[in-house]
Amino acid sequence: MVSHHARSLAVDVPVSGTAPRRVWPRFLTSEHPFPWLAPITALILAFGVYPLLYALWLSFFKRNPITRMNVFNPTWNWGKLIGDERVWGAIGHTYLYTITALSIELCLGLAIALLLDSDRKGYGLLRALMTLPLVVPPAVTGMMFLLMLDGSFGVLSTGLVSLGLWPPQHPILASSGSALAGVLLADIWQWTPFMVLIMLAGLRALPKEPFEAAAIDGATPAQAFFRLTLPMLSRIIALAVLIRGVDLFRIYDYVKVMTDSGPGTATETLTSYAGTIYFKNADFPYASTISLFTLLLVIITSSLFIKLFKVRF
Amino acid sequence: MSFKKFDQQTFIVDSANAYTNRQISKREFLRRMGLAGVGFSAFSLGMLGNPRGLRRGSMLGTEAFADGLPDNQAKWLKEVGSKFKGAKIRYSTESTPPSVVLNQIKKEFTDPTGIEVEVEIVPLEQVLAKATQDVQGQLGSYDLYYLDQSWISMFQPDCIDPVAYYKEKPELAMPDFDWDDFSKPLVQNIAQVEGKWMGIPFDIPIFTLMYRKDILEKHKIAVPTTYEDFLAAARQITEAEKGNGVFGTGLQAKSGHYSLECDWSQAVWGHGGSIFNKNKKFSGNDEQGIAGLKWYQDLLKVSPPNSTASTWDGQFEMMHSGQVALVQSWDEFFPGLDADDSKVKGLWEPAKPLTAKKLRSPSDAGFNEQPNLGHQGGSCISLSKYSKNKEAAWIFMQWGCCKEIMTRCTLLGGFAPMRNSSFADPRVKAKAKVGPGTTRHLETVKWVIDNAMATEPHMALWAGLSTNEIPTELGKLLTGQAYDGDPKKCMDALAKDIDAKVKDAGLL
Repeated sequence: MVSHHARSLAVDVPVSGTAPRRVWPRFLTSEHPFPWLAPITALILAFGVYPLLYALWLSFFKRNPITRMNVFNPTWNWGKLIGDERVWGAIGHTYLYTITALSIELCLGLAIALLLDSDRKGYGLLRALMTLPLVVPPAVTGMMFLLMLDGSFGVLSTGLVSLGLWPPQHPILASSGSALAGVLLADIWQWTPFMVLIMLAGLRALPKEPFEAAAIDGATPAQAFFRLTLPMLSRIIALAVLIRGVDLFRIYDYVKVMTDSGPGTATETLTSYAGTIYFKNADFPYASTISLFTLLLVIITSSLFIKLFKVRF
Repeated sequence: MSFKKFDQQTFIVDSANAYTNRQISKREFLRRMGLAGVGFSAFSLGMLGNPRGLRRGSMLGTEAFADGLPDNQAKWLKEVGSKFKGAKIRYSTESTPPSVVLNQIKKEFTDPTGIEVEVEIVPLEQVLAKATQDVQGQLGSYDLYYLDQSWISMFQPDCIDPVAYYKEKPELAMPDFDWDDFSKPLVQNIAQVEGKWMGIPFDIPIFTLMYRKDILEKHKIAVPTTYEDFLAAARQITEAEKGNGVFGTGLQAKSGHYSLECDWSQAVWGHGGSIFNKNKKFSGNDEQGIAGLKWYQDLLKVSPPNSTASTWDGQFEMMHSGQVALVQSWDEFFPGLDADDSKVKGLWEPAKPLTAKKLRSPSDAGFNEQPNLGHQGGSCISLSKYSKNKEAAWIFMQWGCCKEIMTRCTLLGGFAPMRNSSFADPRVKAKAKVGPGTTRHLETVKWVIDNAMATEPHMALWAGLSTNEIPTELGKLLTGQAYDGDPKKCMDALAKDIDAKVKDAGLL
């Protein structure tokens, strides 16, 4: 099948006695993979490989704040990173954030998917409504929750305080003990529907026979869930955890908009710390090193997960 | 692909199935989900209401004061500027009142000259990152830089001395520009490093005292003049008015934000301390520094809890909404407090900043730091050495900083001017009454500029220290994340970190 644009490139060549024969430009009829892969390869090289190599190259330089020159010193930034307490704090926050959000989103996602897994009237609309948070840009979501959690006029804060569930002298996003929970709230609101959709797809793809057999054998719904549904969904769950986990590890938008890594460093993650070093201290080599380190952690954690849970694609 | 062609239920489930079977990409999956939900999301976004506007900017550009340039300057602009017709100059700046006004009236420059001006207004930290990248690569992407006073020494090698350039290029020099008209303290503290002009002063937010006269009268409290008086008054008002939702004061104490560093440094100076001592060692942990920080911690206890999540915007909101009664902060807030949409129109009064028992002498401070009563957050506009349109940018810079345009910027926004003649301008004086864009605070501001202006250290590391290390550690202390409320522990940790960085940078 060719696209509309490609079709317009074809030329009708008149052939005597027959209908005109359509001749395509050669590059559009190639059976060699190169012309088809070239555009995407170029994009990956330009926007993926080159920035990665540039960041790696940059990480081997020490920035002189006086001359602003980068001086070759391959171990400086990596040594600094190991001795930087804020990096270790950020690693802790990143893992805490990722594991907490992932657990809640997964459990909620599965629970809601089970509720929505029905062909009855109105359920389609409910499933459609579930997707709404996904179409809101994360920065906008962050701003929404920033306003809703504002200690002076935020609707959520005011509600919690009015119900006596939260002390008014400790605004959620301005207190080191609760700020991360405030940021997590935005993430969970926005990304639980993603889990719901994945789980729904998985549930709908399950064969009916084992469930019918279990029902005949007198299995309770709980038994059916733990002994049939969960094991049969395990591949889908592993895939969802992997995709969402990598996303969560790169968390930046909500933290930047809602707390700017604060109060103190209570919500500072690896990516937000890299952003701080880049934008505020203008130390581009060190910021690149932190970013590369984040990438390394993502690769190691994902690989461990794939190995431990025997994820197969 | 039309959504109508699909049954809604089948569409979403099929898409999710296709995604889990890796038949479509994540991007395509989200696009399809967006297609399904976009109508609802538009509705939900609409229900969120209007975003908060920039209140200080809301009264800008509402009145026309276009008397026009004097004839000789108008002629110069047309004749000299039109030689560079078609040139396009770029200027990256924070959203400061003069930048916003200049952006609004730039057409008056483009029309006679044919020079296009692109004013890129971005958050402060992005201005710094963009300017740093530009000078590091000597790219010339920006012809003019907005330089905050806290970064100025970092850009020392990258800016053209405007006074020298004015003399070197008489064919481009605006007639009657009058360099002597610029306020001398502003030139020295905002636009010069080691006696060299880095640019032209462009913006001067500065600390003054502001108070609600009705609340002070109600509680029979005199306008505070000392740090002790201020704390006592704030305590008294909070105790009496907290039930009504009114606090004695409000702070811009957001962790990790430059605003917190500004509040803290003023508290340190006001208690006789400085950020660096004459040996260029961090001195926030000396006796005076600790006294200043303790005072600030006490003040925080009588402020709205949201103070630790507020920058200058949040602090302005507290004042504008009638939540606080006393504030020592940026004078730029004042015109907005008299705006028509203000709940406290005409109720705030300006006063001189709090006096210190003893100020540390600048010679006992490091890196040209000037401890004093009024923290300034000024900026200058500078001509890039790497600009590819130097002449055109230079003409724009002179136009933007000439007497008439600078005075008009003040008239449109009510903020402090850079030129003595603007302060004395009858049009500016005529607006010294309650109303939008008022200039009734400028007399106090002029006094602070001329007599009590404080300036942070001028050193290459300061941009990072003032926006990252210092406010982050302060945030940890003030929000209880670390140091158990002990200011000495916090300042000692900061001293260790900063002294090491200063030493490593070769600044000792």
